[in-house]
Amino acid sequence: MVGTIFLLSISSCSDDFLDRQPSSNITPENYLKQEADLVSYVVNLYSVFPTDNWNPWANDNNTDDLASSSYDNKYVPGQWKVGQTGGDWNFTNIYNCNYFLQTVLPRYHAGEITGDVESIKHDIGEMYLIRAYVYFTKLQALGDFPIIKTTLTDNKEILTEASKRAPQTDVAHFIIADLDSAIMMMKTNAPDGNRNRLSKSCAQLLKSRVALYEATWLKYFKGTAFVPNGPNWPGASKDYNKNYTFPQGTIDKEIEYFFTQAMDAAKAVADATPLVTNNMVIQQSTSDPVNPYCAMFGAVDMSPYSEILFWRRYDLALGICNNIAVEMGYANSGCGLTKGLVDCFLMKNGLPIYASGSGYAGDDSIQPIRKNRDGRLNLFLKQPGELNILYPSTAGTHATPIEPLPDILCKTGNSGYPTGYSTRKALNFDAALCGNGLGYSGEIVFLGTEAYLNYMEACYEKTGTLDADAQKYWRAIRVRANVDPDYQKTIDATDLSKEAAGDWGAYSGGALVDKTLYNIRRERRCELMCDGLRNMDLRRWRAMDQMINTPYHIEGFKLWGPMQYWYPASELTYGIGDKSRVSSPSLSHYLRPFEKTTTCLAYNGYKWAMAHYLNPIAIQHFLITSSDGKDITTSPIYQNPGWSTTANTAPTGY
Amino acid sequence: MKYSSTNEKGHKLKVLDWMNHRKVFMVLFLCCIIQTISTKAFSQTTELSLNLKNVSVEQVLNQIEAKTTYRFLYNKNMVDVNHKVSIVCKKQNVSQTLDQIFKGLDIAYTINGKQIVLSKIEKRPVSNTTKKVNGTITDEKGEPIIGATVLVEGESAGTITDVNGKFALTVPSDSKIKISYIGFESKLVSVYNQNILNISLSESSKVLDELVVIGFGTQKKVNLTGSVASVNTKQLESRPVTNLSNALQGITPGLNITQSSGSLEGRPTVNIRGITTIGQGSSGSPLILIDGMEGDLNTVNPQDIDNISVLKDAAASSIYGSRAPFGVILITTRQGEAGKMKINYNGNCRMNEPLSLPKMMDSYTFVNYFNAAQRNVGKGDFFDAERVQRVKDFIDGKLGKNTDIVDPNNASYWGDGYSYGNDNIDWYRAIYKTSTPSQQHSLSTSGGTEKVNYYLSADYLNQEGLMKLNQDTYNSYSINAKVNAKLSKWASLAYTARFTREDYVKPTALSDNLYQHLGRQGWPTLPLYDPNGYLFSSPSPALALRDGGQTKTQTDWNYQQLNLTLEPLAGWKIFANLNYKIGDIFYHSEVLPTYQHDVNGDPFLSVQGYYLSSNSGVTERASRTNYFSPNIYTEYTKSMGKNNIKAMVGFQSEINKYRVFDANRVGVMVTSSTNLDLTSGTDYSGTTVAPSVNGSYTDWATQGVFGRLNYDYDGRYLVEADLRYDGTSRFRAANRWKYFPSASFGWNVSREKFWETIEPFVNTLKLRASYGDLGNQNTTSLYPTYVTMPVGISNGTWIINGARPNSSSSPALLSSTMTWERIKTYNVGVDLGLLDNRLTSSFDYYIRYTNDMIGPAPELPVTLGTTVPTTNNTDLKTKGFEFSLTWNDRLDNGLGYNVNFVLSDSKTEITRYPNPTGNLSTYYTGQQYGEIWGYTTIGIAKTQEEMDKHLATLENGGQNAVGSNWGAGDIMYKDVNKDGKIDNGSNTVGDHGDYTVIGNNQPRFNFGLNLSANWKNVDCSLFLQGVAKRDYWQGSSYFFGASGAGVWHAVALVQHKDYFRGDASDYLGLNLDSYYPRPLQGDERNIKPQTRYLQNAAYIRLKNLQLGYTIPANITQKVLIQKCRIYVSGENLLTCTKLSSLFDPETIDGGYSSNGNAYPLNKVYSVGASLTF
Repeated sequence: MVGTIFLLSISSCSDDFLDRQPSSNITPENYLKQEADLVSYVVNLYSVFPTDNWNPWANDNNTDDLASSSYDNKYVPGQWKVGQTGGDWNFTNIYNCNYFLQTVLPRYHAGEITGDVESIKHDIGEMYLIRAYVYFTKLQALGDFPIIKTTLTDNKEILTEASKRAPQTDVAHFIIADLDSAIMMMKTNAPDGNRNRLSKSCAQLLKSRVALYEATWLKYFKGTAFVPNGPNWPGASKDYNKNYTFPQGTIDKEIEYFFTQAMDAAKAVADATPLVTNNMVIQQSTSDPVNPYCAMFGAVDMSPYSEILFWRRYDLALGICNNIAVEMGYANSGCGLTKGLVDCFLMKNGLPIYASGSGYAGDDSIQPIRKNRDGRLNLFLKQPGELNILYPSTAGTHATPIEPLPDILCKTGNSGYPTGYSTRKALNFDAALCGNGLGYSGEIVFLGTEAYLNYMEACYEKTGTLDADAQKYWRAIRVRANVDPDYQKTIDATDLSKEAAGDWGAYSGGALVDKTLYNIRRERRCELMCDGLRNMDLRRWRAMDQMINTPYHIEGFKLWGPMQYWYPASELTYGIGDKSRVSSPSLSHYLRPFEKTTTCLAYNGYKWAMAHYLNPIAIQHFLITSSDGKDITTSPIYQNPGWSTTANTAPTGY
Repeated sequence: MKYSSTNEKGHKLKVLDWMNHRKVFMVLFLCCIIQTISTKAFSQTTELSLNLKNVSVEQVLNQIEAKTTYRFLYNKNMVDVNHKVSIVCKKQNVSQTLDQIFKGLDIAYTINGKQIVLSKIEKRPVSNTTKKVNGTITDEKGEPIIGATVLVEGESAGTITDVNGKFALTVPSDSKIKISYIGFESKLVSVYNQNILNISLSESSKVLDELVVIGFGTQKKVNLTGSVASVNTKQLESRPVTNLSNALQGITPGLNITQSSGSLEGRPTVNIRGITTIGQGSSGSPLILIDGMEGDLNTVNPQDIDNISVLKDAAASSIYGSRAPFGVILITTRQGEAGKMKINYNGNCRMNEPLSLPKMMDSYTFVNYFNAAQRNVGKGDFFDAERVQRVKDFIDGKLGKNTDIVDPNNASYWGDGYSYGNDNIDWYRAIYKTSTPSQQHSLSTSGGTEKVNYYLSADYLNQEGLMKLNQDTYNSYSINAKVNAKLSKWASLAYTARFTREDYVKPTALSDNLYQHLGRQGWPTLPLYDPNGYLFSSPSPALALRDGGQTKTQTDWNYQQLNLTLEPLAGWKIFANLNYKIGDIFYHSEVLPTYQHDVNGDPFLSVQGYYLSSNSGVTERASRTNYFSPNIYTEYTKSMGKNNIKAMVGFQSEINKYRVFDANRVGVMVTSSTNLDLTSGTDYSGTTVAPSVNGSYTDWATQGVFGRLNYDYDGRYLVEADLRYDGTSRFRAANRWKYFPSASFGWNVSREKFWETIEPFVNTLKLRASYGDLGNQNTTSLYPTYVTMPVGISNGTWIINGARPNSSSSPALLSSTMTWERIKTYNVGVDLGLLDNRLTSSFDYYIRYTNDMIGPAPELPVTLGTTVPTTNNTDLKTKGFEFSLTWNDRLDNGLGYNVNFVLSDSKTEITRYPNPTGNLSTYYTGQQYGEIWGYTTIGIAKTQEEMDKHLATLENGGQNAVGSNWGAGDIMYKDVNKDGKIDNGSNTVGDHGDYTVIGNNQPRFNFGLNLSANWKNVDCSLFLQGVAKRDYWQGSSYFFGASGAGVWHAVALVQHKDYFRGDASDYLGLNLDSYYPRPLQGDERNIKPQTRYLQNAAYIRLKNLQLGYTIPANITQKVLIQKCRIYVSGENLLTCTKLSSLFDPETIDGGYSSNGNAYPLNKVYSVGASLTF
């Protein structure tokens, strides 16, 4: 009887009752089928762009341009070590791009996506651009990198196979191809009308950047392990890369190819991007006219500025905020301009500061530094006593209405002014933006001006001369900067040995470059000051070799001149061990932020190791792709030059 | 009206109607019932007319009861009421009538007020003189025992006690009388020359005869074969705790209750037998059934509990199938008892104090400490000399109330507190109170007839939290009603309704964030008040807490149960239970605008920063759960000689539907009235913000059939087999259904013949063994086999066209083979009873395999680019034991005492895990769950020379892999693998360098010890609970202070003051023998996991101490109180531990990021009373 009931009961169990589907979720089959779906996915991936920093200048920190109160381990060889896990060997964003493309493209070709076709094409184009951008960050960090165009299954063999590193030239070609797709599909004007979305010119600008990067990298690292087929190139240790041939045949053809690509793409952007006017006014009262060139970097609404190709909007009401206005009004979030950067700016008359007849008034104080200088330094170097706020607001609890004497001693407990110099670039005079973490000035992602400079550099690097376009662009920039447009005058007056003291860009591969190229690089440094490209430029120019043997001393303002009287003498302590507050005058008249105490590892200056041009790959990635989880040699991955395959070790031999 | 009940031994008890006397105590919710009863009682007279022919004595008695207020008390086994009699009488008094009826029968009677007790007249040879004895039978606490049997030894003559526990009996003067009552030890008393016998019975310690509630039924404890623990509910009495789980901690071996926060809404976690699953993708909490329906343990009123069973092994819990692979807690609540109405009141008032509140450094020590931490990493002083001096001057009282200076960069405001403040605040004391009251009141009543009886109860708990600036409170209410009705001889119906409500109110700014910010950014220098006396915010925790609004959560559960029991044939029962519950949670959260004040004292809108959103606004959320579960089962019992068989089959299904919606709109218009209608939808700058609106539905269902077969031979050999066939909505049809078998065996050795000689000493010996195979369907996701697209509405962070766009991203990968986790449990056990069962003990050893567990995703090459899908890829094995020992005795002088000790342990090993590289940052095969890897510490180098000497021994790289710039005050690590350098290799099992397993963070050897005693009217008990072994690595800045983390994450508590100072000029003085190394802001070289700072988190805690006094009944009865016990009770009074005083051993891993910074637990002092009417 019991058994019968049991069997009866079993038969009464019903699968209908237990079939329960998620009723509040969207399945992949039902999504990415309308144009609006595509937008939501694409815009979500804008997160790959480096924004949302409380310190907008963080990307140029730890170069010869900017320094904070702490040094970067990469300038203290022995301190930068191979990681155990994580690092740049990461494919999350790539997966997200690939999922979109492999889902959307077939539907697009089959006409299954509803909405305006041009818009759909644009969205797809944006995704190509984003994937190119992500790949470009990998190219810069690691060089050779696996090219993965589709999503992969969770199968170890497949994933191990996919871990094979493509030589960096292939990666660069892949990026260029993605950008060509983007350029083909995207609209000339961003669909939102405010350039909060990407546009074709962004893809062109990025293309010129990538091509210039790869061309200069190949040029300056040619003959080293840092280029495919170079001597001791680690890729040759793996069968799959052993017999690599360049897509263009030879490395020189590659270089030429990429310079050409850079020029073409840059020209398309530059010609379509008029420069914003600079009236040289630093607003100090509400009756002063607004200087558009000055205002654009800190504007809440950046859409009126033609140079800004793509920017991120912030909004207090929507809860998307930053702290840029607060940091700009004070110590730049503890990131100071170096003496090297400040000295690099020309005089208004086009002469370097050291040139005879330059009219340079010296740097005993901040005011003379700016006198008769390049308009950009004049506009953007902050000077104590100037107004930071013209429009007061009760919301501005963290505003600094008047620029104070630079707090090099970090008196406030915050990071202070490590070099004594700070910049006004991206300042906004409205205190309403100065709530703590509640600011909403926009953030620039792509600035069209870069195309001018990319063109000039690519043109000169490729041909050894400046063509008419290059000359036109250079003059336009100098005119706008309120500098004598006669760049030849500058070239002639340039003394590279003097420039080399404050500018790593004077070097490539340990040797000084020619004066014209140097001045092209100088223009780039000054025009793109704090715009986040300096680290990339120094790497691709191979501009740090000289520090392998000769340490470089980061310096700030001239503390041990008259400016020392800005501070009570009792507080300017040095030579007393860990309690020293400033660097000793016996080292330099200029403040050396890392040379206050001998226990600071950068006390003896920044040094360099060849291996540091590329990042190491963490050990776990080798182990997981090895045949037995232990033997790293069986992994298809190879380490970058100089780095070992043991965790926690610093590079040797490079 | 007749009140009677049948107890186990077949006593029929008739109780006089006492309702009219109790009227004055009636509570509102009892009104209806009372009214009926009392009206009837008053309408009767004592004069009697009868005209009955050839009816049974019983029928006559019934007639008398119907016509008068008299009630008869008798034992059917003694008094033969089936005799046929005839009687005719008119307006006769009752004694005349009774004389007439009992003429010729061997029945005697005693009239005692309105009660008439019948007894049997023993026909015995004329012997010695007889005498009349009167007496009272009470229990240990002096409460009268009603219906106790009083017999002359060796004879069948006797009587039973009345409602006052009194009896009268005529006995031979040299005889002995035997008093017995179910659940109590029988007593034999010589009469001698006594006329009055007041006898107290002690409760039976023959616990093995108890009935234990098991899945879908009950079982005699002696016949149990699975591992089932019966919770000693006496230990729950008078515990001043917020919820039942707190009270259950440490009482039952193998039932692990951990409470890692004292926050009012915090719920202890409940677990049976240790690690169940890894908890990433599935969970392994026990199933909690209240009267057969899943419910919330914490809302049960402890006063309502009749008994609690914990089903621990698979054999015991397999009848619940997929819902119960990791054990079941069965709570049975009280039900009505026929007979005299009983009213119970229990109430207490409490004072709570935080058990451990961190103490911050004073601000002068703080600034010096921070400066040292900054200097040590080459960053120079953090606070300059002027600030340090200002801090000192403030402490010295030279600055008056000037906690801050005017912002030098902005003269209309006070300086930022972090940059300029010079206050001296212990933020923990600024935020937390040092004591707070609470109270609890419970009232219950039961009564009824054999046909219909009821139980009603109500409970109220009011608990105030420790928030000082904006009170947090927790109120809970419950009402419980049970009605049982016997519909016919073969059918009965029970209806239960239970309603619980919890109201929790807290400041909106009270969150995990508060716990972390309090420590890391509640710098003592940060002003609490500005120099004008207004609350200051930089931001600070205080202003947001006080003025930032409240969050209120109301949780209601409404349980409805209808149980029909049919018994068509003797031994065959059919049960049909319909269970329904409705849960509603209404959540209201408001953020109010807060105002700071500028230098002139003018208010301006404050920025909340970390603590609250910057816009004021209101969020409302409502959710509802509808749960329905029908259970239908039938059982058949049959005994054939010594063979006893019980069989049961049944069907169960569950469906749970949940829906939620919420809305938020910014811009509170009227701060005194915060609801959505009164929000403007604009932020404080006047910009319109779109309201946020969300809603969703989810559901799950299970279905299963089950069967159980019990067989025993003479109670000696016991066998039980269970089978359940279960399906769940969590998996797709192909993987949905599984069979779950289990079997268990028992041997009552002490019932064997050969045991007879040992029996007087060892009364009970039972051996048990069981095996069961269960499945776990508790995947974290309700739809783990469905791929869903992550889509967010208006939550994008890149503003397009002035609005936040929708967002979407790639769907997570799913394993196509996701299916059941299989749990196999082996259990062996032994039950022992010694010395007349005064000493009882039980021991269980088990091995539980969790196979095919949904583990954290296996490691794969990261070229995958997305999270590896979790799958059934992991096995673990948990081994452990449970032991309990109880000694129960009462000395001749009346002192009763009880010792109860429980101990349990479990140890878990990962037996399968796909981690081919043996990466130590995740699980690996062969790992002991909870193991802590770290360096071995030699010590702190006192001088640079000592450090240099140490580094010189490490010729292959020193300690460079850990850090650089080693000096005095830094840690010297031991080169465990002798390779001339300190590192952890590749951090893998195969290459771990100098890392070794230095400890294990799992709590081991959980124990509880309860000592209780009572003597006359006084009782006391003491309850200790603890963990005998546990290591803990607390590497956060709450442990290390200003080391490791950067300035904004560093913590400075008084204990951190014991840091290395090698400079005699330091204001705090030289400290070479410090506990902590030199502080290194933002540098982790000294705080790597290591032996020196491994914490011993074992502890023993005096969980409860109570003292009670029962006021003698003769006093209380004058005010109509049967029993009155008053008591004082204390909770968490003492703790012994070697753990750093920074932490509480119970909350060491509670709070934000498990940093041990949780809301503190409470020390509670309580005074209460328990009254029975």
